[in-house]
Amino acid sequence: MSKIGVFVCHCGTNIANTVDVERAVASARELPGVAFASEYKYMCSEPGQQMIKDAIEEYGLDRVVIASCSPRMHETTFRKMLKDTKVNPYMLEIANIREQCSWVHTDKAKATEKAIRLIRMSVAKAARDEPLFASSIPIEKRALVIGGGIAGIQAALDIADAGHEVALLEREPSIGGKMAMLDKTFPTLDCSACISTPKMVDAGAHPNIKLLTSCEVVKTEGYIGNFQVTIRRNARYVNHDICTGCGLCETKCPVKTDSEFNHGLSKRPAIYKLFPQAVPSKPVIDKNSCLKLTKGKCGVCEKVCPLGCIDYADEDREFTETFGAIVFATGYELIDWTALYGEYGGGRYPDMLTGLQFERLVNASGPTEGHIVRPSDGKEPKTVAIVKCVGSRDPKKGKSYCSRACCMYAAKHAHQILDKLPGTRVFIFYIDVRTPGKGYEEFYDQTRKDGAIYVRGRISKIYKDGDKLVCNGEDTLLGKQVKVMADMVVLETAMTPSSGIEELATMFGVARDVNDWIQEAHPKLRPVETQVGGVFLAGTCQGPRDIPDTVAHASAAAAKVVSLLNKSEMETSPMISVVRREHCCGCGACEKICPYTAITLEEIDDRVGAKRVKRPIASVNSGLCQGCGACTAACRTGAIDLLGFRNAQILEEVDALCL
Amino acid sequence: MNDNLAKMREAAKRALESGDVGYVIGWGATKFPDKTSPLFMRKPEDAERLVWNEYAIPGIAKYLLDDLYPDKPIGVFVRGCDSRAINRMMKDNRIKRENLRLLGIPCDGKDDERCTICRNRNPLVYDELLWDEAPTPEPKDRYFRANAVEAMSADGRYAYWSEVFDQCIRCYACRNICPACNCKECYVDMTATGFQGKQHSRSDNLIFGVTRAFHVGDRCIECGECERVCPMGLPIMGQTQKILKDINELVGDYESGVDAESENYLGVFDLDDKDEFM
Ligand SMILES: Cc1cc2nc3c(=O)[nH]c(=O)nc-3n(C[C@H](O)[C@H](O)[C@H](O)COP(=O)(O)OP(=O)(O)OC[C@H]3O[C@@H](n4cnc5c(N)ncnc54)[C@H](O)[C@@H]3O)c2cc1C
Ligand code: SF4
Ligand code: SF4
Repeated sequence: MSKIGVFVCHCGTNIANTVDVERAVASARELPGVAFASEYKYMCSEPGQQMIKDAIEEYGLDRVVIASCSPRMHETTFRKMLKDTKVNPYMLEIANIREQCSWVHTDKAKATEKAIRLIRMSVAKAARDEPLFASSIPIEKRALVIGGGIAGIQAALDIADAGHEVALLEREPSIGGKMAMLDKTFPTLDCSACISTPKMVDAGAHPNIKLLTSCEVVKTEGYIGNFQVTIRRNARYVNHDICTGCGLCETKCPVKTDSEFNHGLSKRPAIYKLFPQAVPSKPVIDKNSCLKLTKGKCGVCEKVCPLGCIDYADEDREFTETFGAIVFATGYELIDWTALYGEYGGGRYPDMLTGLQFERLVNASGPTEGHIVRPSDGKEPKTVAIVKCVGSRDPKKGKSYCSRACCMYAAKHAHQILDKLPGTRVFIFYIDVRTPGKGYEEFYDQTRKDGAIYVRGRISKIYKDGDKLVCNGEDTLLGKQVKVMADMVVLETAMTPSSGIEELATMFGVARDVNDWIQEAHPKLRPVETQVGGVFLAGTCQGPRDIPDTVAHASAAAAKVVSLLNKSEMETSPMISVVRREHCCGCGACEKICPYTAITLEEIDDRVGAKRVKRPIASVNSGLCQGCGACTAACRTGAIDLLGFRNAQILEEVDALCL
Repeated sequence: MNDNLAKMREAAKRALESGDVGYVIGWGATKFPDKTSPLFMRKPEDAERLVWNEYAIPGIAKYLLDDLYPDKPIGVFVRGCDSRAINRMMKDNRIKRENLRLLGIPCDGKDDERCTICRNRNPLVYDELLWDEAPTPEPKDRYFRANAVEAMSADGRYAYWSEVFDQCIRCYACRNICPACNCKECYVDMTATGFQGKQHSRSDNLIFGVTRAFHVGDRCIECGECERVCPMGLPIMGQTQKILKDINELVGDYESGVDAESENYLGVFDLDDKDEFM
């Protein structure tokens, strides 16, 4: 007979207010197999843990049930505690009587009854717990950072500075991301390029960092410590090993096409650097606009290049490398407002800009060398309307979330206009002004003092009247209709996850939230980890945020990576699936359902009667299996079983609840 | 003797004489004039015992599971429903195409309620076709049992299924004949207690019924053999029909066993899956 100890936690008053802890303990004492039951104010605290350890000694307990908060909260804490005792750390069950009971109920009598049942289930399961032992896997001491925005750059630099090799992968021809496009950064108004380009250069020159620009991830296999990632380097048509970046080719190329970096506000040649400070500072050919590659004519760049770097026959190339850890730093994009807001003209009026276009417009190295003029006629605007929350906080048309940085950069944009064009009237339409951050409220105050006019309300319609953009809306504070005859409108649009994030996330088995941002493992306690071991998160790929938060997030992710790569091998969870070969019929249902591609069918030698036969059976890769249990539900025979959550244990729980 | 039967006997005989197959599975007479039983022909002369009439109703493909590693291929006569059963078992990795010699026999429909919902009288996989295909008549209500149950109130449905499963004697005939029930070892044959128990009680029987339905689930080929073999005459197609109906309403036309490649709808995860219930 097992000797189970049951420990019921008050969690201060969190549990004790709604659950009669004494009654729960008394009823636990009556359960079969329970040798000891007790309660305490905070089980997770030092004295609480000591009490459990003492009880194990005194009563010779061989398994433990702790009725407390969610196992996601403290299961690891208690497992660690058991390491110092005779009890195997996996002979532990947590009955969640907080999140699943006291927090969601008010009726104390009924909540107590439920807590008693939850404990009964855990005791029934614990009786069938078996000792499990972690094994260890070697760790490849290299990290792959996907996305070369400020998040990716910061994470790569921190990991590299700690002495580990990093590959920084970026699908564009240069690293830099959005920050490289910005003019000044709030609240200090230091020039964005001045603080980001040195970091880009550092990343490019760091002996531990390998830049993989124009690259994309196409496939990944393996698991924490050992990811085999297949990468495609898109053809550049320029041999970067020889190219010095002299830039002659760019000046001679006859093609003019929209510049991505300037968001269509200017043109660039077909052979181009993303922007003058690009890292690597070498051009690539855009195969969609190059005359030689599309029509077979031209070939000018090949003629002018003094070093013979041009290679029109260059091809996409795939290669596979091994990494111990992965950092997602894929950033954000701006929502396509033109598709959503027909009432704002749907993109028909050239003098309506997005925030990023405006950043390029005010930027001294931008298309107008920093002069704020209307793209349509080159005139300076006298009246500018800035509209916030376009696509943010608008569940009907756009996204329900707040994009976090817009309140501040809208104030920045107003300030920049008032600074460069004194006397301009700047209206900012807002729902709320949110300025939580060091120096942020002061910055907003200053912008109002500068003369920005804040109008509380959404704009309902924007249309053209002569050369004016008429903005109709409501001032909800005055309860009046307002109409602004603007010369230029800046839309501060919502941040959305980068395109291609679904494929990338699916490849690594990483979850996304309802809005497709990458889901962190725990919103409070594990904000830079995903639920997939060895895959970490940096910056806006997890949700909208500004640069200070992005950089902090990235450094945190780097710290996690470094602590992983510092080990030469790591323990793996023993809670993985096992196949009972004699029952498995090789149907492959589990193989298809496994989200981590941990299962493959393999042929085994078997005997049927007197015959030697080969038959397929499922086999689980213990490094890949995350213990999600999907396969155990898919297997009709019950041939595949999750250690720690065996079918028999789940059935015991159900029986304890229902019978 | 009808023409088709002659062709079938001829085909079986030829196959057995050539020695290409170990044996051929078809239908034979029983002592009841309106019943046939599966016939295993091993010698050319056994072909004379083959029958093909309006009572050649039983599905014969499931017997392939009894001989998974044959020395020589097994010959089987396949109608539409038998071919779907074979696709089903191939898709489930249970039988191998190279072990089969499929003699296709387009069916003319039998005198059975289940044949009125048939969507494929012509075999969908075969090695040779013994006579010409004919179009399958427009099937009657595909979900005839499920619709009747759906029309009831929730309490009415509970009462209905309770009454049905109170009669279940747990003989597992439905499981034995079902081509989708092709596991090496069925969960009901493993010792189980608690709510998976095997008492002759309403709750244990209901759990068995619902588990059977979900295990078959999206893999049901709608042949109705389960009802045919049930000694208690229980209308259990109502359960599997309901699952198929839901899938069809959610994702459009879905049928299992029409080929051996298409994925089982409930067995894969796809980013484009409809998820209006989540
Ligand atoms: C108009 C505007 C003004 C702003 N002003 C300020 C400001 O003044 N101060 C401030 O603090 N913040 C500001 N922000 C916010 C700031 O831009 C972000 O916080 C920051 O740039 C986020 O950096 P990131 O690295 O997370 O993302 P990004 O800069 O978006 O970098 C992501 C990188 O990953 C790459 N990538 C994406 N997907 C893939 C893939 N599948 N494979 C390979 N590479 C991929 C992208 O090409 C990109 O280079 C502003 C934002 C906007 C829109
Ligand atoms: S528990 Fe099963 S489905 Fe889940 S990861 Fe492991 S093998 Fe895959
Ligand atoms: S473990 Fe189960 S689901 Fe997986 S192949 Fe074997 S029988 Fe099929």
